[in-house]
Amino acid sequence: MIQKIQTYMKSVWPEFHKHKKNVHLMPFYTFTDYWHLWTMSIFILAVTALSPLCIVTLIHYQLIHQSVESELNLRTERLTASAKSSVTFFMEERLNALIFTVNEMGYDQLSGNDNLVEILKNLKLGFGGLTDLSVIDMDGNQVAYAGPFNLEGKNYKNQPWFSQSLEKNNFVSEVFTGYRDVPHIIIAVRSIKPDGSFFILRATLDTERLIQTIFSYKTGNHADVFLVNHDGVLQTPSANYGNIFARLNFVIPENSGTKEVIMSTNRESDTILSGYSYISTKLVDTPFILIVHKEKAGMMLTWLELRQNINWTVGVSVFLILLVITFASTFMVNKLYRVDKAKAEAMLRMEQNQQLASIGQLAAGVAHEINNPLAVINQTAGYVKDLFSFKDEPRSDEEIIEHIDSILDAVDRCGTITRQLLGFVRQFDIKIKKINLRKLVFDVLSFHKKEAEYRGINVTVTIPDTIPDMETDSGKLQQILVNLINNAFQAVEEGCCLDIIGSLINTGTIELVIQDTGCGIPEDALSKIHEPFFSTRKDKMGTGLGLSITYGLVKKLGGNITVQSTEGVGTSFTITLPVKIQEGEFA
Amino acid sequence: MKHIDILIIDDEMKFAGMLARRIGLRGCEADVCYDGSTALEWVKENRDHVSLILLDLQLPDMYGTQVLAGIKEINPAIPVVILTGHGTEQDRQTCETLGAYQFIHKPLNIDVLMTILEDIQKAAE
Repeated sequence: MIQKIQTYMKSVWPEFHKHKKNVHLMPFYTFTDYWHLWTMSIFILAVTALSPLCIVTLIHYQLIHQSVESELNLRTERLTASAKSSVTFFMEERLNALIFTVNEMGYDQLSGNDNLVEILKNLKLGFGGLTDLSVIDMDGNQVAYAGPFNLEGKNYKNQPWFSQSLEKNNFVSEVFTGYRDVPHIIIAVRSIKPDGSFFILRATLDTERLIQTIFSYKTGNHADVFLVNHDGVLQTPSANYGNIFARLNFVIPENSGTKEVIMSTNRESDTILSGYSYISTKLVDTPFILIVHKEKAGMMLTWLELRQNINWTVGVSVFLILLVITFASTFMVNKLYRVDKAKAEAMLRMEQNQQLASIGQLAAGVAHEINNPLAVINQTAGYVKDLFSFKDEPRSDEEIIEHIDSILDAVDRCGTITRQLLGFVRQFDIKIKKINLRKLVFDVLSFHKKEAEYRGINVTVTIPDTIPDMETDSGKLQQILVNLINNAFQAVEEGCCLDIIGSLINTGTIELVIQDTGCGIPEDALSKIHEPFFSTRKDKMGTGLGLSITYGLVKKLGGNITVQSTEGVGTSFTITLPVKIQEGEFA
Repeated sequence: MKHIDILIIDDEMKFAGMLARRIGLRGCEADVCYDGSTALEWVKENRDHVSLILLDLQLPDMYGTQVLAGIKEINPAIPVVILTGHGTEQDRQTCETLGAYQFIHKPLNIDVLMTILEDIQKAAE
């Protein structure tokens, strides 16, 4: 399971993360830090893509927030206005009823208790909300009374409402308990008698009726509508500030003449919208101020839901954008890496080729310079030998001949080296010809025919006739075959086998296997066999150049060479070569 | 005029001299020229009295291929063996086109040379 995950991770893990693995390629990369490139790409793309989204979202937030807030203000304002007109109407209606009664009846009729009871009955029928009715003379004495309380004969001279009523024609009191010990409102109308003195018609209003009127404007759980007097004492119960006569803990703004909505915080530090309006009728100012409180948070619920939706949408969008950006960046940087890697590999190859070419040129120079003195040594040693052989001089000294022979052998070996070095240089130009692999193999083997027969080496060639003609450098391919077949002949003992197997492994590639049942190559030597001047031959007859040249030639022909060998069992060289190459293709 | 078996054209005096002596030891006549112009003069004079010319490519006054072309102009029948220390594939092809008999790399095994001479002389008979 873990292995499966690891394999999956390896396939998904971007290639460019491996760019530091091949140290040889590092100097040739255009970009040295692909991690940085990747993160920068993601960063720049993310900033470009996400910043407009964020800005638009913020503007959207701001706009919606503003419109929701102004809508809330408007609603609060409308509510305040409606409640105000109701309360005003409530007061005005009853005041007008009293004024009508006073003007219609006059003092004489009103001061009779029976008449008053009748009037109260009619008023209750017409308007409702009235508790009792009384007529008070200018000294504060209650002249007549109709109502449920036993208040006849009371004197109101010292009551504050009485003195205030005397000052104005009409009067509306605050809510107070008075003699009856029940919260009520007094409205009073002053009228002048024919003798010039005046009297007051007073009605007591049931607060319950007012409270109901106000409560009808309380919509939803987040609203609070109530009346206070100018001193901030509650005149109707409030959901948030307590019952009648409780004192408000905030300052009510001055009367600006119009209804207003302001933003403030309540006791729990929640933001509230508060609308207030001083209530005044056409006839007289009242001591009441209407206050509407709306909790902002509650009213903003719709907005909050909307905001949550926006947040989700934006969140998902951001995630998708980042995902796409990450994938796109990885894809792009990978592409870039592959191109860069191909370039780096080409440059490395070129540098290696240049190095090889300069080594080759150096080798050619050395070979050139050494060949002439070698020729002199060769001829001189040869001449000395000739002297002994042809001129019957001290022939008895066999040892001298032996030494001269070893000089000549050494010269021969040097000659082979210089020839191969020159061959090494020559491998840099390619001449393409059409050749038949089967024929070429048999041509090369013909040189060894005698040796094979003499040593009893069993050579088998398995190359199908159907194998296509190759278009490649025949000289180089021949040299490859000569080198490998020579090697094989040197490695095998009498009676061993040498197999040469050719096959077409795909339409464009030919595989050639040269395997022997010879001495094999020791394991520690396997990795060095392509190095120049490395040889396993104990007799010191090998130059150590054969396989390194072969390796270079195979690469030159766009192919590959691998070797498998077991010491004492045999060696198998496998060459894969393209069927067709073009000049300069693998230069 | 004396018959010469092999004319050696090589600027490496010690090599040419030693080779001439060794050929002499083997009962053949050899003569030596150290540069191209002398060699061409020699060939003009002895155009019908030489069996084989051994020619180095690197000569002080001219390139071996020029000398080869000169010899072939004087007498196309004289076999010319190119003996070079570092001839390239291109040199080989040029020489073959110009009609060189063989192209051998230094150092030279005298037995190879003697075999070639024998072949030529046998063919001439």
